[in-house]
Parts: sequence; structure tokens; C-alpha cells
Amino acid sequence: MFAGVSVLVMTAGLSACSSSSDTSDSSSGGSTTIDVWLMRDSVSAQFQNEFVKGFETAHPGIKVKVQIQEWDGIGEKVTAALASNDAPDVIETGNTQVAQFAQSGGLLDLSDKVDDLGGKSWLKGLAEPGAYDGKQYGIPYYAANRVVIYRTDLFKQAGIDASAIKTRDQWVAATKKLNSGGTQGIYLPGQSWYTLAGFVWDEGGDLATQSGGKWKGALDTPEAIRGMQFYEKLQALGKGPKDSDEANPPQADVMAKGKVAQVISTPGGATAVIQDNPALKGKLGFFPIPGKTAATPGAVFTGGSDLVIPTASTKQGAAYTFVKELTGDAWQKKLALAMSYVPNKTTLASAVASDPGAAAMAVGAAEGHATPNTPGWAAVEAKNPIKDYMTAVLTGGDIQKKAATASDAITAAMNSGS
Amino acid sequence: MSTTRPRVRRLPLNIAAVVTVVVCLFPVYWMVATAFTPTRDIQSDNPRIIPGSWTLDHFRTAVGAAGFGLFWRNSLLVTLSAVLLALVIALGAAYAVARMKWKGRRQFMLMVFVAQMAPWESLIIPVYIISRDTDMLDRLPTLTLVYFMMTLPFTIIVLRGFIGTIPPELEEAAQVDGCTRFSAFRRVAFPLLAPGLMATSLFGYITAWNEFAYANFLIIKQQDHRTLPVWLSSFQNVFGTDWGATMAASTLFAAPALVVFLLLQRHVTSGFAAGAVKG
Amino acid sequence: MSAVREQTAPRPPLGTDPPRRSTGPGARRPPKSAGRGIWPYVLIAPAVLGTLYLLVYPLVRAVVISMQDFGLRQLILGHAQFVGFKNYGTLLGDSHFWEVVRRTFLFMAINVVLIMTLSTLVALMVERLGRFGRTTVLSALVLTWAMPVISATTVFQWLFHSEFGIVNAVLTGLGFESFDRYPWFAHGPAAFAIVVVLIVWQSVPFAAITLYSALTTVPTELYESARLDGASGPRIFRSVTFPMVRPIFLLVFSLEVIWTFKAFVQIWVMTNGGPGDATTILPVYAVQTALSSQRYDLGSAASMVTVVLMSGVLVFYFRQMFRQEDELA
Repeated sequence: MFAGVSVLVMTAGLSACSSSSDTSDSSSGGSTTIDVWLMRDSVSAQFQNEFVKGFETAHPGIKVKVQIQEWDGIGEKVTAALASNDAPDVIETGNTQVAQFAQSGGLLDLSDKVDDLGGKSWLKGLAEPGAYDGKQYGIPYYAANRVVIYRTDLFKQAGIDASAIKTRDQWVAATKKLNSGGTQGIYLPGQSWYTLAGFVWDEGGDLATQSGGKWKGALDTPEAIRGMQFYEKLQALGKGPKDSDEANPPQADVMAKGKVAQVISTPGGATAVIQDNPALKGKLGFFPIPGKTAATPGAVFTGGSDLVIPTASTKQGAAYTFVKELTGDAWQKKLALAMSYVPNKTTLASAVASDPGAAAMAVGAAEGHATPNTPGWAAVEAKNPIKDYMTAVLTGGDIQKKAATASDAITAAMNSGS
Repeated sequence: MSTTRPRVRRLPLNIAAVVTVVVCLFPVYWMVATAFTPTRDIQSDNPRIIPGSWTLDHFRTAVGAAGFGLFWRNSLLVTLSAVLLALVIALGAAYAVARMKWKGRRQFMLMVFVAQMAPWESLIIPVYIISRDTDMLDRLPTLTLVYFMMTLPFTIIVLRGFIGTIPPELEEAAQVDGCTRFSAFRRVAFPLLAPGLMATSLFGYITAWNEFAYANFLIIKQQDHRTLPVWLSSFQNVFGTDWGATMAASTLFAAPALVVFLLLQRHVTSGFAAGAVKG
Repeated sequence: MSAVREQTAPRPPLGTDPPRRSTGPGARRPPKSAGRGIWPYVLIAPAVLGTLYLLVYPLVRAVVISMQDFGLRQLILGHAQFVGFKNYGTLLGDSHFWEVVRRTFLFMAINVVLIMTLSTLVALMVERLGRFGRTTVLSALVLTWAMPVISATTVFQWLFHSEFGIVNAVLTGLGFESFDRYPWFAHGPAAFAIVVVLIVWQSVPFAAITLYSALTTVPTELYESARLDGASGPRIFRSVTFPMVRPIFLLVFSLEVIWTFKAFVQIWVMTNGGPGDATTILPVYAVQTALSSQRYDLGSAASMVTVVLMSGVLVFYFRQMFRQEDELA
């Protein structure tokens, strides 16, 4: 619905910008139109509209046509685009997918533009996946990570001060207190493996490690096992289903029903909750995932997107102008505030101080990690032995044995056919 | 219609029918019921068979999605063309195989049968490459041709089977009466093929209507050429899926098949009547 | 005797006037219209041409890809190197692979038996119903068939959800306390069973409708004569009904073999092959190992292997079909 409205408004916007100026870049006289692919809901219709209008005004020779892409089947879609003869000019790809495209030869090498874009301050979790063999293909666009979304009224009722929760132990104690009388202390589904990754990283472990060019699953290390044990402890303080993840059912929907004190989610999830149940407006707060000690927040998985330019694009100059604008400081600040994101540069973190969700997120972003930066990881996610492992442990399996099985599966998947 | 059917007691039969309908339809019912359930109540602690409250919001969302009318138009175009093309060509081929004697007939049927086993998930890459090289990417006729090919082998095999159950004497009798071979077929055997045509066109329709992988891979930049299955998946976002809207969309998506069937099945029963008169 | 025939190899269609008894073993057959020159070839030409260009050509390229080093890079840039049978070696040498094959056969066997049995029963039932009942049941079948696979899979996931699913709610309500919050998808056999139920539920409508259509072509006079001869219900089915619909029955059977062998979407969405490997069958395996890392060469090889395995199962049907062809020749 939003996309439809945005298309209509954009068409109106496009026709309002008459541009026969000859200050356009590469194209020969007249204006260029670039095709931009953005993912569904990655930006609000309002922001998109605002940006396109602003961009076209600043660059009268370039018109922008935004196409919203669905998440389902997007990997194949981008593949088809990169391999075709007529690709879109700018594509947004998730930071977990950009690595494989970077290695494919289908993306424009933007290494010489990194300084121009201010690349020194980029968030590592976004910049690293976009690089390959020393060359930069993906330009960091925005990031998001998880925080704890909590019910301010339930906390008040139980006499708990969220801002005082800085360590795991305090967190567990508070959650225990909240987990009574029909309320769930925390709704944590059994297969939320990104959350588990955070706990594993907190313990000093990792999902997989590399040695001598070969990757090995690392869930059976003592550190990773401690991470899982903490997950188990926390998960028991609520009624999260042990055999599904946070999308099944969407945990925002569960929280919207009103009897859940906390969920672990990106701050945008709060918007979804309020949409489902407007009565909760103003009753949701955020705090960073607590770490083991008060000095360090909990480690989190850095999610987000990069922008790439296909080599098959026929308007690379205009495409670069677009990318530079959207990843530039001015618009990044507006984007972060509009969407509760973490901006792509560490230097901009202060820009979101006024947004409680994004502010909490930015605290955690400092401890942001990514999944192993190698195409072999995609094979792991396709089969996801981590989810099976979590469910097995939560339903009573022997943690050591299950961890070993899972690690073997990860090793096999990462080293198969690469 | 015959009245000398082996008599089966009415009651167990009707009970079996009711059980079949309930078992078949329960998930379908769940889908439709979810389409009318407010999001808060979808997947709740106390699952209820009849939704507590009703809403039309999901249908509004589904219908209001960007490109809604366009997707329907594209899907209808592609599906109907593919099915019609497959029916016409298969009918000719099935007739040739079932009614004529010629060299290579056996090999042809072998080819058709092997074609039925085609691994379409893996053929997507070569089809993409071929389309790219012939500049047929981003075009609806490409999809039509692919769907046509997907349903052709099955249609030929089934129609051949059905023609095979119709005694050639009927057509010969008509020919003796002065018809040409083909018009004899058309007047006499064709109506009796109605059940076979119904089964095959339903099959072709549902295959093409639901197909996602090729539609996703072959239609790239031309957003205006996208088909319905894309619409179905458009209610997902970063936070999960809007299941209410997806189920509403699915309900609308599945409805035409029922319409197609109800339209066709009238002709099935009239084929019946023709059959009762024969001999 | 009269119209009750013994089960033999498929016969040319029975004449419609039982008293005439114009067909019998070795009797003169109704003269086949001799193929008049080019007509047969004209009629099959579009099918052949279409198949050559839209199927054979891509298939040949797929085989070539399976023997090359072909990934995303090669798709975009070209220059794929030929590596002979290395991909097949990688595939067949993987110990997991044979486990998956075994599981695929088991999965297929269970599904096909259930599907064919249930759909035959349903088809027979529909045949005997009155007009209204028939339309109702057929409409229910059509709706089931038409339901988008994704939606159907999701609904099944919900029905069996450990916390919110109605199956657990009902079972607990009936007194089976052990099913309170039972995680169906966490246990291999349970997940396998759910997938089987889903596939059977989705496949029966098509098979039943097609079988029912075939049943309608059986001349009713045959039943009449059989009953006059004193044959009972099951015997009628065995000796009258089944032989007549056998070609279609075998056809549906072979199609179901093929489709359950290739069943992918449902498993992918619902269990992703899990838990562990419990529901990983060949197509799921192919996508996990090959397509997710964009190794199109391995994926192609896996599909070729699948086709070969499927043909192995269907050799029996091929032979039947050829015998049928020979008799009609």
C-alpha cells in the first residue's frame, strides 16, 4: 500500500521536476533516468519520496526510478540482474549477501571512490562484507541490530528500573521477577540464532573460525557452550516456542497481545507492535542487550545493507552520484532518525541520540559482529544446523553432543563445493 | 444416467463424503478464516476454530498492494495463453498417437514421457542464458512458452489416454455417415474427452498460475511484467510476514481455480449425457 | 464370460455392445486408419519443435553445465571451464548423498502408496454420489489443489505449532497431556510425518480428479452386466473397473512418483530439511549444497542424478507403455 502511494507520488514528483538542463553528467544532452532497487520496507515511503525529490532537485540531469523488491527470492533476482545485459543501476543488498556478489565479477569496483565517500569511518560490519580481494564493491548503506524492547508499564508495576539493567545477572533477575501471573518475562523463541550469536560472542567464542584457509564450526568450544547455556536460562523465563524462530509467529504480533514484558528485536519492531495494538503506544522502551559486565554492552549481530552498482549498468556515473548522496552524511542522519537505523559511519552515531530505540541500538552497535565473511556461510544458512542445535538443547538434548554435531555440520557446509 | 450402479448404502457413503470434504477443506478454511482475523488473534495462545472477531483490513491491504491489477492481468494473460497453447498442440499430438499409425510413434511417446521428468529447478539457468542471448528476458511471452512446455507432456499423455478409451468405431460410424476423419473426431469423440480436457486444463492452469521461480528469475527490470506469485510474497518485510494479508491474498489467488473448475465441470456432465446415448 | 474380463495386458477398448463380442484375444481389430502420409507428422510437429527448443536445448546445456566449473562468476562473465565428471564425483562421493537417496526413496514410497490408495477411494466415492454431493466434493478437491503451496505449507506449520497450534490444543483437550506444547518440528519422525501428511493432502485432489475423470469413461453397461452375472463390489472393481482405467491409473502413479521425488518447496519452507537431516530429500539436498552457494554445476549434476534415479523407478512403467504401443501398432 505504501509502495503504491509512493509510486503515485513519485510519478507526480517526477513530472514536477522538469529538467532540460545540460549540467547532467555522462549522458549526451537531456536527462538520464536511473533504476534503483530498494528492499521492501527498508525505507519508509515518506523518506523515499523526500530523498528522491531532494536528489533530483540537486542533480537536475538525473531522474530516479525506484523499484521496491520483495525479500522472497531476492538472491535469485539480484543474480538474474547482475548476469543480464540490462541491469538496474543501483541495488540494495543485505550485508550477508553482498559478499557473494562482490566475488562474482558483476559489481563495479569502487575502491578509488572510498575516500570520496568517507570510507574511513564506515561501520566494519557493513564495509567488510562489501570488500573482496582488497577491492571495495559494496558501499555501506545502513545498519540495525537488536536491543531489548520492554513494556514500561509492566516494569513499573514490578518495580524494576530498566536503565539499571547493565549486566546479565541483573537482567535475568529482573526477567524472573516479571515472569509471573500470566505475564511472560521475555518472549524468546527457541531458534533466534542471531541472538545466540551475540551471547556466544560475549563469551569470547564464535560460530565458526578459520585456520589455514579452512573454516571450522566452533559451537562446541567451551565459550560457545556457555553462550548457549545462557540462552537456555533466559528462554525458560517465558513461553517462547522451542522449535521456531522469531518470525513464526512474528514476535511483534505476540508482544502486541499484551502479556509479554520483553522481546529481543531491532527497534523497528516496536513500530510493528504499536501498529498491531495501538493501545501500547507510549508504553514501549528500549535498552541495549546487557553484557557480562557493566562496562561492555552485549555483543550483537550487525544487520544492514550495502549499495552496489552492477557492471552491466549503463549509467554508472549517475548511479555513483546517487550512491554518494544516499550514503552521505546529510541524508544518513535523516535516514537514521526516520527509520531508527544506525548510520553507516561511526562518526554519525550521535545523530540518533534523540531516538531512544536507535540510541540503544547505537550503544550495542559498538559491539557489533558479523557472520563469517565468506560465501561458504550462505550454505550454512541454507541448512542452518544452528537452529536445529538450539531446539535440540532446549528440548533436553545433551549440550556437548549436540554442539559437536552442529559444529561438524557447519564445517561440512562451509567447506562443501567452494 | 445409469440407475444400475452397484448399490452402496447411502449413509456410509455420505459420511465418507462429508469426512473427505472436512479433511480436505480444513486447511483451506483455516486460510480463509485467517484472512478475516485481526492480526492480534492470528496464532494466539487459544487457537479458535471460529475467529472471535472479523476484519476486512487484510483484504484491503491485499487489494491495495502496488501493482495489484497489473499482476492479475499479467498472470491471466500468461496462464490462459500457456494452457490454450498446450491444449491445442497436445490434442493434435495425442490424436496422432492414439488414432494413427506411423513410424516413430513409439519414440515420440518416449520423448514425451521423458519430458515429463524434466528437472525444471535446474533448467532455470540454461533457460535464463538462452533468453538472455536471444533478448527475451523481461518479456511475458517467454514465461508463456516456459509454462506451455511445463504442461505439454502431461497434457499429451493424459489426452492420449482418454482418446484411447474411446472406441474408434464411433468415429468410423460417423465417417461412414459422410464426415471427414477430423470432423468425425470433433463431433463424436471430442465431447467425450471433456473429463480429460478438464483435468488437463486445470492442471495447466494451476501449474502456471502458481509458478514463482521462473517468473522471479526471468522478469527482472520490467516491474510491469511481474506476475501474481510475486504479489503473494509482497507482504513480507524485515520483521516477519503480514500473515493476514498473505492469507487474504492467497484466498483471492486460489479463487479463480474454483471458478474455472465450476465452468468446466458443466461440460463434463454434458459429455456424460452424450456418452449415455452412444451405442 | 460376457463382459467380465480377466486381467491381462492392456487391451484395445471394448466394443460398446456386449452381445456382439466383437473383441477378444487375437480377434480382428477395428482397422486403424492407416497414417495418411504426412498428417501425423504435421500434428506432432508443434509439440516436437516446442520440446526441442524449450526443453531439449536447455537440458543439453544443463548437462554441459554439470560438467563445467560453473558458478555465479561464470554466469555473469562466461568462460566456464570443462571439468568432466568431477562434479558427479563430488556428489556421489559424499557419504551424506547416499543417505539422502535412501530417504528419498522411502519418502516417495510412503507418499505414493498413500496418495494412490486415498485418491482411488475418493474417486470411487465421488462416482457414486448424487449430483450435489459430487459437485461439493469435487469443488473441495479443486480448492485444495488450487491453494497456493506457500499458504498451504504455512497453514500446516501453524496447525502443528508447538505453542499456538490447534493440533496440540485439541490433543491436550482430548486428554493427551504429553502433547501440551509438543514441538512437532523438533523430532525427526514427527517432522517427517507432517511433511508426508502435507504432501499427501496436496496431491490427492489432482489424482482423485483425474482418476474420477477416467472412471466416468467406463461404460455403465459393463457394470450392469457384471452385476447380472452376480459379481460383488470388490470383484467388479478388480475385473471391470480397474482394467479399464489402468492406463490412467498407471499414468497418475508414475506422475506421483515423479512429483514426490521432486517435492521441494513444502519441505524447504517448513523444515528446511531438518531437524538435522530428517526431512532432507534429493531436491532439498541439491539446493542446500549447490544452489545456496550458487554452484549451478553441482545443482545441475544433482538434478541429472535425480532424473536417472527416477527413470530407474519408472522403467516398469516404460515397459508397460511400450507393450501397449506394440499392441496398438
